[in-house]
Amino acid sequence: MNRRTVTALVVNDLRQLARNPRVLVFAVALPLVMWPLMWFLTSLTTERRQERLESRTYNYAVAEDPASADAQAWLERALAIVGDDRASGDPDAADGPTVRFERIETPADVPAALDAQQLHVHVAWESGTAESGAPLAVFTYRADLDASGAAEGFLRRALQRTRVEVRQQRLEAAGFHTKPEDLLPVERVETASEEQTSGLFLGRLLTAIIVMMMLTGGSIVATDALAGEKERGTLETLLTTAASRVEIVTAKNLSILAVAFATSVLNIANIVLWMQLDVIPAPEGLKLIIPVGTGLLLVLLYAPAAVLLSSSLLLVSGRSKTYKEAQLLFAPVMLIAMAVAAIPVLPGVELRSAIVLLPIANLGVAAREILTGHYDWPLLAAAWTVTGGAAALLARASLRTLSAEKLITASELDAADLAGGPALFPRRVARWFAALWALLLVWQLNIGGNIDSRLLISINMAIFGAAAWLMIARYRLPAREALSLRAPPTGAWLGVLIGAPAGLLLADGVVRLASLAMPIPEAWIEAMAENMGAGLPLWQMLIFFSLMPALFEEVAFRGVLLYGLKHRLTTLQLVLVAGIAFGFFHVDLFRIPPTSLLGIFLVVTVIRSGSIYPAMAWHALHNALALGSARLEQIRLPEQPAWWHYVLALAAILLAFRLMHQNHQRASRPAASGPEGSVPGG
Amino acid sequence: MSAIQVEVQGLSKSFFDQARGEISAVREVDFECRSGEIFGLLGANGAGKTTTLRMISTVLQPSNGTARVLGHDVVREPVEVRRNLGFYSASTALYPRLTARETLTLFARVNKYPAERTSSRVEEMIERFGLGDYAGARIEKLSTGMKQKVSIARTVVHDPPVLIFDEPTVGLDVLNALDLQTGIQELRDEGKTILFSTHIMSEAERLCDRIAIIDKGRIRATGDLEGLRAATSQHYLEDIFVHYVTSNDTSV
Repeated sequence: MNRRTVTALVVNDLRQLARNPRVLVFAVALPLVMWPLMWFLTSLTTERRQERLESRTYNYAVAEDPASADAQAWLERALAIVGDDRASGDPDAADGPTVRFERIETPADVPAALDAQQLHVHVAWESGTAESGAPLAVFTYRADLDASGAAEGFLRRALQRTRVEVRQQRLEAAGFHTKPEDLLPVERVETASEEQTSGLFLGRLLTAIIVMMMLTGGSIVATDALAGEKERGTLETLLTTAASRVEIVTAKNLSILAVAFATSVLNIANIVLWMQLDVIPAPEGLKLIIPVGTGLLLVLLYAPAAVLLSSSLLLVSGRSKTYKEAQLLFAPVMLIAMAVAAIPVLPGVELRSAIVLLPIANLGVAAREILTGHYDWPLLAAAWTVTGGAAALLARASLRTLSAEKLITASELDAADLAGGPALFPRRVARWFAALWALLLVWQLNIGGNIDSRLLISINMAIFGAAAWLMIARYRLPAREALSLRAPPTGAWLGVLIGAPAGLLLADGVVRLASLAMPIPEAWIEAMAENMGAGLPLWQMLIFFSLMPALFEEVAFRGVLLYGLKHRLTTLQLVLVAGIAFGFFHVDLFRIPPTSLLGIFLVVTVIRSGSIYPAMAWHALHNALALGSARLEQIRLPEQPAWWHYVLALAAILLAFRLMHQNHQRASRPAASGPEGSVPGG
Repeated sequence: MSAIQVEVQGLSKSFFDQARGEISAVREVDFECRSGEIFGLLGANGAGKTTTLRMISTVLQPSNGTARVLGHDVVREPVEVRRNLGFYSASTALYPRLTARETLTLFARVNKYPAERTSSRVEEMIERFGLGDYAGARIEKLSTGMKQKVSIARTVVHDPPVLIFDEPTVGLDVLNALDLQTGIQELRDEGKTILFSTHIMSEAERLCDRIAIIDKGRIRATGDLEGLRAATSQHYLEDIFVHYVTSNDTSV
């Protein structure tokens, strides 16, 4: 990449923006004034309204023939203190209440009088309606009319205070001299420092604020970055220069980031300034002291999120035909990003959970934990890597958008688009599985843990089965070939018998290795045992936890997913991508490493044997052995396996794959001329 | 004989459309251009001229065939191809808020022109194209004729050996068009290889050393004007064009 070229392009983008006074005024300068102005005006009008409501006279009426003389006495006491809502500790209230109530004759038509604002509140008494036998006060008012609503509020609160005072007097008269609050005094001792409390407040909101500012600031340049260039006709000029596509995308991303960063800093400085000037009230007790180290860590943490956001804006801009369309499409991007960024606000969401797999949200939760003084380094690294990976994928997608011919030609389709069906499927498979993963994540996080494990497994498997069927039907995939429904060579079964137990031992090793960085909590192990159907009869456990996953997950992952990816990836990439994707579908953080390894073994099994059946058998045997190991003493894994156990297991796996491959070669040789005999992905 | 600078063999391009299916825009096009010549692609609108030139300039990927610029393959070495290329067309616009000088500097830089010579090269271009009085003015403030001069200047600012002019006179008045044509001839005289597409017969007749007549994505004939006249027994290029487009004769 040529730095001079990238710099020239960035300078050009910034120059275009700086020389566009309309954009500068409406997108940069105006928000700087508008937000504090709106805030100021809102608080000003609220204050004025409050002042007016507290310094006026309200008309009230009391129903004739009060049922209780006692009730009238209560009302009089209440009227004596009415409006003194702020008396408790507010120095502004020292002058006493200015609210006045004037009694008027009860009008013949109370609703009409309320409507005409001649009457603001009407009080009636119902004798002995309450359980204690005390009279019940009935307030009639109009909540949609400011004065009426306020009058009811003042009078009700005054009556409630009167009630407390009367109760206290009665208690004292009866010999109870102790005040209720003295019966069990409560003292609060908070161990969190002011910084930690403020950190929690800031941490909950920080990601949402940063994402909103980055998106609003970045979109100023992003709209022009590709959609604007396309509309203006400068894109073709740019594409015919010696600047490479990578240089152009890098420059566009840098321009978006630079403007997003600058506008974010401007906005934050602006808010701080107005807070200092007391135009915007600062949250009470907020102590914003972020040590330099923490600040730098946060900057580093948010770096992949910034790239992810700028790449998504660039992608939207590249996919849009016009400037207007780009502006329209930014709205859903902003909504999705804000929804994800708001996750740290939710109570109880910890980084050491499946949230670490959700880009941006994971950084938000991580930032919240950092700001409250919790540094979970392995998980911080995992969150950073996940969001970084997503950012890299989006950057690659925006690079591909820039290489797309539809950018400069009227052609909307290519051969695969037109042909549809199996030709299009390799390009769509990733989207399908991404959507499936998002569906499962939402389902697992919200409902998954609260239902019977058999029902949970059944629904999960139904989702996988339905998705596989939908993809086969939608893209007219040849089912036999897509699912590798071929008779396997005999030796493949022997490979399964050797490989599955060895694979389980290696998966156990991976869990032990991972737990060095991420110690598995006891509570998680107990929850897993519960979820894995502890207490169910063995036959049910085998059906729900062994046979069903072996059938449906194999169809989806080693069938459809593998078929979709095999023409786009090398064999090694295929094994890693399809294998690890399977692990990520096990949403739970601690299950990802072992299930990814299992996924890798199963992908290799299909590639080596040319058939899905041995993978199904391996999967079923693996799960059955895992369940058995948990329940039966006879097949329990060693408590502390020695290193040579793992070496033996690895050797057994290699032997298993070798057996499958040799047998597959032998079996496929006579059919080599036909497509059925081809090795998927190999 | 001068060196071959652009070599096109069996170049084809298909587009795909929901309503019309596969559309073959360019079909097995072959030609070569040498240094110091203006090679014209003459064809009606939609004949495949722009698609061919866009493939040579690496903006579009060929569906089949190869194209090389100074020996660099357009698919495998696109950046090298573009570094040796200047592309001008009616659809390649300029950044409206840059000045003429800034525009030339930008394009010299992104085309990797040596940094130490960029400034002097930009001034040279400003002088050559008579932009002195307007060098500091923004493009959006310039007249069509001046914009066109800046466009040509930005096309040649990095001193590429090969220049592509795709229907450059579209939308220009007669005087500006003639001015442009003179500029192109001067560039040819400096030894540049020029690929020039047009649907205007007189323009092709006046400018081109050799002409390829393209119709429905196929090259119907290639040769110099005299050769085409001899082969068709027609004097005017317009008649020659009609001859090839209405018959299946691909004799030259």
